Amino acid sequence: MLAGQRLAGELVVDCHIHLGPWHSFHIPDNDPQGVLHSMDLVGIDVGVCSPHRAIAHDYRGGNEEVAAFHRAHPDRIRPYITINPNYPDEEIAAEIAKWREQGLLLGFKIHPSEAQYPANGDKLRALWETAQELGLPVLAHSWADDKYASPAALGRLADEYPATKVIVAHSATSWEMIEQATAEARRRDNLFLDLTGSAMLPGAVESMVESVGADRILFGTDLPFLDPRPQVGRVALARLTDDAKRLICGLNAKRVFGL
Amino acid sequence: MPELCFFDCNARLGRSRRPRPTEFTTKQGLLREMDRCGIARALVYHAESLELSPSLGNERLLKEIAGEDRLAPCWMVLPPHTGEMTVPDVDAMIAAGVQAVRLAPVTHKFPLNEAASASLLAALAARRVPLLLSLEESSWAEIDGLASRHAALPLIVLDVGYRCDRNLYPLLSKHKGLRVETATYTVHRGLEEVCAHFGPERLVFGTGMPQRDPGGAMAAVTYAEVGNSSRQMIAGGNLQGLLEGVV
Repeated sequence: MLAGQRLAGELVVDCHIHLGPWHSFHIPDNDPQGVLHSMDLVGIDVGVCSPHRAIAHDYRGGNEEVAAFHRAHPDRIRPYITINPNYPDEEIAAEIAKWREQGLLLGFKIHPSEAQYPANGDKLRALWETAQELGLPVLAHSWADDKYASPAALGRLADEYPATKVIVAHSATSWEMIEQATAEARRRDNLFLDLTGSAMLPGAVESMVESVGADRILFGTDLPFLDPRPQVGRVALARLTDDAKRLICGLNAKRVFGL
Repeated sequence: MPELCFFDCNARLGRSRRPRPTEFTTKQGLLREMDRCGIARALVYHAESLELSPSLGNERLLKEIAGEDRLAPCWMVLPPHTGEMTVPDVDAMIAAGVQAVRLAPVTHKFPLNEAASASLLAALAARRVPLLLSLEESSWAEIDGLASRHAALPLIVLDVGYRCDRNLYPLLSKHKGLRVETATYTVHRGLEEVCAHFGPERLVFGTGMPQRDPGGAMAAVTYAEVGNSSRQMIAGGNLQGLLEGVV
């Protein structure tokens, strides 16, 4: 990393990437070419993607976008199917069925704070039940004490749906969040913590590994919402063993996503 | 790629109100972390100058880093009206070996308007002393006003975040003396875009240690696709140039 060289010879999976513009700030090079270029620059082999369109106003259009991105680059991009619970149950059921039939239902993404709807709300029952049936990962945007999807709420969902793999996004964004997320991860085995975030606190990754073990932590960057390079540097320079870094950077995701 | 010589514009020493166990507080702790990461030099301020008293903290800083060539002092300053600065003016400060300053108008509760701050800012501008100002201690409107009134002042804005370009770009275009510290500037392809639109001289490497992880800040520069010369400018050359530019 200090030589500016891409990580080579190790599997690197970014469990939390996006695609496209965002309404409230400028994101240069936010298209598929820009995302793949940034992945190539640092050596991210696979990105699991939920387009910004999907978590904004048009979840179905976003799912189409990521399906196309995956089909164009099947070895590099895996899709999250995103569901917006503010739409009719029939529509949500049809959307889940559609991607299941096409063999692209490989994981779900929910963004409860954008949707302003709780992660455990009734409109998301179909999503959770499908994830339980198929043993799927569910990436959930979270934050410390978030009223829609706190780590505690996601922990309870992980208990209710034990075959799912619940990924608490942004688990390292504050010391309060780290305490909450790691406490929940210690209570059950099917809860995972992603590192995505701009606030890179010194010692945070080491603290999380000490608390829950390296095998529950997933590398993620929010690319292109954020530039991935600083987050690569944070893990690369962390005071951890190489084996722990291998787990965090890719081997845990390989297990969680069945790569 | 040639090895970069990193000069961190934004590091802190000293005990603070809400420390974490991993945070260093001493010169030795800072130097150990710099050695671990590969940072050659740091411009450093003292937590006491922010959290208690600029004058007391500045004095403590000089004592604690005395004789250490790798650490350069950055003083927290106040406008002169209340007579709280032990070192009375900018000339005396430079004579004491201090070539960069920080202001904290929100924490220290003073305005950046002309009535309160003009004489201080004019004195800094006259000597070309770099001023480091956090966006958390000001606003884009204040930065615009300050840079407009004191065009010769080298101004480095800290803590800009990744949602800032719609505010930042117009100001980089308008104010040639405005620079951005890189620690929190995690816009996708942000360093490349600023270099392309405004030049590499507008970016100054900083980490925010010990509150922020240095690895992230360093990777942003080591991986920047801007060419070796621009990378070195950002990593340390720009800051070195600003400090050498003090007249």
